[in-house]
Amino acid sequence: MPIYEIVFYTFSLVMLASAVAVISVRNPVYAALFLVLTFFSASAIWMLLEVEFLAIILILVYVGAVMVLFLFVVMMLDINVEPLREGFIRYLPVGLVVAGLMAAEFLLVIWTKSRFGPEAFPSPPPHPEGYSNTQAVGEVLYTNYLLPFEVAGIILLVAIIAAVTLTLRHRSGAHRQNPSRQVQVQRDERVRLVKMKPEPRQEG
Amino acid sequence: MLAEYFPVLIFIVISLVLGAVLLLTGGILGKLLGHSQPDDEKASPYECGFEAFEDTRSKFDVRYYLVAILFIIFDLEIAFFIPWALVLDELGTVGLVAMFIFVIELVIGFIWLWKKGALEWE
Repeated sequence: MPIYEIVFYTFSLVMLASAVAVISVRNPVYAALFLVLTFFSASAIWMLLEVEFLAIILILVYVGAVMVLFLFVVMMLDINVEPLREGFIRYLPVGLVVAGLMAAEFLLVIWTKSRFGPEAFPSPPPHPEGYSNTQAVGEVLYTNYLLPFEVAGIILLVAIIAAVTLTLRHRSGAHRQNPSRQVQVQRDERVRLVKMKPEPRQEG
Repeated sequence: MLAEYFPVLIFIVISLVLGAVLLLTGGILGKLLGHSQPDDEKASPYECGFEAFEDTRSKFDVRYYLVAILFIIFDLEIAFFIPWALVLDELGTVGLVAMFIFVIELVIGFIWLWKKGALEWE
C-alpha cells in the first residue's frame, strides 16, 4: 500500500523539520507554534500505528491544553528576543557535551540491531473486524493497571494543589462584592438613630 | 481501520492546498497585479487610529495560567472516562468502584480549590 508509506514519510519529514525549527527559530512564540505542528505530525504517525485513542488524546491534551500553557509561559516571561542570542559561545562547551552524550546513547540503541530495527519489531497481526483500540486500552487500564490509574488520580490531585498554592495570590486591597452579606445586612448595621432633644429654632 | 480515517487525510490535503492557494493569490498575484506604495505612516501599527499604546509582548496575569492548568487537569480526567465508558459492561462493579475512587480524588481537589477561592477572579 504505497499511500501508507507516502503518508508516513510526509508526516515524519514534517515532524523532523518542525522539531528542528522549534529549537532554531528565535521567536519563542513561533517555537511554540512549531511544537504544535510537531505534536500534530506525531499524532498522525500514531494514527498510522492504529492507536486512534492515543492519537486523538495527543491532539486534545497536548495541542489543545499543554500548548496553551506553553504560550502563557512565553507571554508571562516577557521575553526580549535580542538577549537570547547572548552567551552562545559561553554555553557551547556544556551544550556540546550534552549533545555528544545524547548522540552516543542514540547510537548505542540504534546499532544493537537485535533490539532495534524492523526485524526486532514485526508489524502486529491484523486486527479483526470491529476492533477498537479505545476498548483495548480500557480493558487493561481498569483491570491490570488499576493501581497506576488510581495513582494517576492522586498525581492530578497533587498537581491541582501545587498549581493553586504556587500561583494563587489574593490581591490585597481588592474590593470584593459579597452578595450574601449584602442581602443579610440588618438595619442596625447601616443606620444609627440618635435620640436628642428638639433644638430651639435659631433666630437670625 | 485506517481506511475510516481516509476522509480526515483528504481534509488535511484540501486545507493545505486551500491555504497555499490563498497565500499564493494574496502574496504573489496581489504583488504582481496590485500596486503598493507603503510609507512609514501606512506600515506603522495602530489601534483604531491611535498610536499603539504598548508592545504586543505584554505580560499576562499569572491567573490565566492557573485557569489553564486547572483546565488541563480536568481535561485529563475526562480523557480517562472515554475508554472506561466503552468497557464498563465487561468491568462490572470493579470498574465502577475504580472510577468512583478516581473521581473522588479529583473532587477533593475541586472542593479544596473552590474553598480556597482559586476560581474567583476578584
